[in-house]
Amino acid sequence: MYILMKKVSSIFIVDDDPITVFGIKKVLKPVAMCDDVQIFQNGKEAFDALKERTEKDQCIPEVIFLDINMPIMDGWDFLEELIRLDIKEHIIINMITSSIDPLDYQKWNEFKDKCPHTLNFKNKPIFKIETSDLDSINMAS
Amino acid sequence: MKAVERIAQHYLLKQLPKATALVAMDGMVSDASDSWLNIFGIAPKDSIGVNIFALYGESDALREKLMESRTFSLRHCIGKEMDKRWLESTFAPWYDEKENIIGTIIQTDDISREVEKERELEKVNHILKTKSEVSQVGCWEYTIETEELFWCDETKKIHHVDPSYTPNVTDAIAFYKQGYSRNKIAMLVHSAINEGTPFNKKLTIVTQDGEEKWVSAAGKPVLENGKIVKLFGTIQDINVQVTTETRIKHHQQLLTALIDNLPLNVFVKDLDSRKILVNKAECQYLEKSAKDLIGKTDFDLYETEVAKISREEDLEVIRTLKPMLGKETISIKKNGKATNFLTSKIPLFDLEGKISGLIGIGMDITAMKKKEDQLRNLINITSVQNKKLINFAHIVSHNLRSHSANFSMLLKFLSEEENETEKAHIMEMLNQASDSLLETLENLNQVVDINTNVTLSKQPLNLNLSISKVRQNLSAFLEKNKVNIINNIPADMMVWSVPAYLDSIILNLVTNAVKYSSPDRNPIITMDAKKGEKTLIFSVSDNGMGIDLERYGDKIFGMYKTFHNRKDAKGIGLYIIKNQIEAMGGSITVNSEVDKGATFNVYFNEESK
Repeated sequence: MYILMKKVSSIFIVDDDPITVFGIKKVLKPVAMCDDVQIFQNGKEAFDALKERTEKDQCIPEVIFLDINMPIMDGWDFLEELIRLDIKEHIIINMITSSIDPLDYQKWNEFKDKCPHTLNFKNKPIFKIETSDLDSINMAS
Repeated sequence: MKAVERIAQHYLLKQLPKATALVAMDGMVSDASDSWLNIFGIAPKDSIGVNIFALYGESDALREKLMESRTFSLRHCIGKEMDKRWLESTFAPWYDEKENIIGTIIQTDDISREVEKERELEKVNHILKTKSEVSQVGCWEYTIETEELFWCDETKKIHHVDPSYTPNVTDAIAFYKQGYSRNKIAMLVHSAINEGTPFNKKLTIVTQDGEEKWVSAAGKPVLENGKIVKLFGTIQDINVQVTTETRIKHHQQLLTALIDNLPLNVFVKDLDSRKILVNKAECQYLEKSAKDLIGKTDFDLYETEVAKISREEDLEVIRTLKPMLGKETISIKKNGKATNFLTSKIPLFDLEGKISGLIGIGMDITAMKKKEDQLRNLINITSVQNKKLINFAHIVSHNLRSHSANFSMLLKFLSEEENETEKAHIMEMLNQASDSLLETLENLNQVVDINTNVTLSKQPLNLNLSISKVRQNLSAFLEKNKVNIINNIPADMMVWSVPAYLDSIILNLVTNAVKYSSPDRNPIITMDAKKGEKTLIFSVSDNGMGIDLERYGDKIFGMYKTFHNRKDAKGIGLYIIKNQIEAMGGSITVNSEVDKGATFNVYFNEESK
């Protein structure tokens, strides 16, 4: 079986559910090589870290796994703030949710148009990571 | 002797007071009284040689008449224009002793005055006849002794009989329509004859050719020496008037019956908005008689504000001449009773087409309005319930889905995992997932309970007693957090609530206030209660972290919504008490300022028990 290992400089996982975080980490392991995987309990924590990195000119995450329902700052609010940061580097954002609410899907569609980064929509459970979740080849070509 | 006789005879004739002349066979006047000569303007000395054919003109006809040797009269006139006089002469044969006709004896009367009178009478009769024709008033006269009945031409015309018709009492009465009219006229005539009672009555006759018509029959006795000898009366054809009147009355009655029995309030107003007609429904609504309402304005009957609006509507209709149709209005009577109407105001024009007022029609829609409100209320409740249900369904599906997703993910990992340590780790995770699923189910169950437990009934509870109970249960927790509770609630304040819900509300609000207290200061919780008209407001204020309401305002009472990074924030407490409060018909609001504190206001519904 041919497995492509992708080298990723930095990954953010934003989710308040430890089991989901565990799962994401687990499915990432065989497909991605990354020394900088950061876990955040909510949007606020992730945003604060991201902001700090842009200010200090540190490495911006290439990939973000983002939960929608979180306390303090949910996924949508995080996205809003992220767009406002006006980051030059391209980020692949994977929205992870157990929601099957059509409203969430609609919202994702709206965000996809105004977000300069790649925005994927993934329903739980996560069994494996697609190449498109880590790479924007499809978009770039 | 002969001469003496002659002279005596001549003298005698001359002196006769009645104008007399003796005329020979040839028409020559042989002798005449002075009065006769005077009539014709002949001096006594000229009397001899006057020929009567010259005096009477029409000589041939007269001559022939005279030849018949019979007495006859002749009317003639002499003079011209102003001096014209009417005379009447009687010609009688003049016999001698041997019964031989020797001439004619003429006696002449001046009948100018009689002729004048006759003419006058004729004129009066003519006027009378014309008058009775024009006014269609006929007259009749009944002579009691002879039982003779006289009808004038007009009377005959009214009965549609020939001018030659001769009436009698029996037939005359038979002309009246069988039944009331005939009985009545017979009775009236009878009592007029016997008691002298005059009468005047509207009755129906049937004419000769079978036409029914209304007449006004009048009669009165004519007395002679205190005795009733005649009846004189009139008869007038009033068929047109009566039928018109009847038709108008019929229309009026129809209109009145219609207006009065309409299940609508109907009124007519003049240009000054004074009522000039009201129907039964309007009278009943205003609890006044029609007489008391006529001439009144809305200012006399309704609250000033309502009357002002109504007057403005009236003026608008009068000004624009356009009807106001089916407008929803509210009338508030002086006693404060309000009624909803569907009102129409239609301009009313007089016969010349000028605006003279307006017709108002009002339909009482109070009951309908109430039903509508009830229905709207029900729809609101239903739609709120529906929204809640959809929301709840989302919560359920989301929460259960997230757990099931975790299960299926972990199970897949487990099945693929070979490393024993990792397997144990996954198993631990599965246990965690199972625990949190159970907890979630428990929470959801609690919410379902609140929304389905309709059997729980509210009862009056002492608010302070419930607070004390909660404080006792939380005493260790409160002490540990150094909480100062300021209770401003009057000792006897009662609140209508489900006991368990009241405890839950107090418990959640107090623990929330402590949980989200500021790390910089000891928590102070202030409790207040205020009784409103239909609600009791229970307030819990703290000096804690506060909540950014602009950001989270719409989510604060949502399920699993937490806004502070605290390990024990589960986002279920406020969601549950909101459900409990709403299940009791109340509501909850929040005011807050970040880092100052928050105030939760619970509105207990004191109306629906």
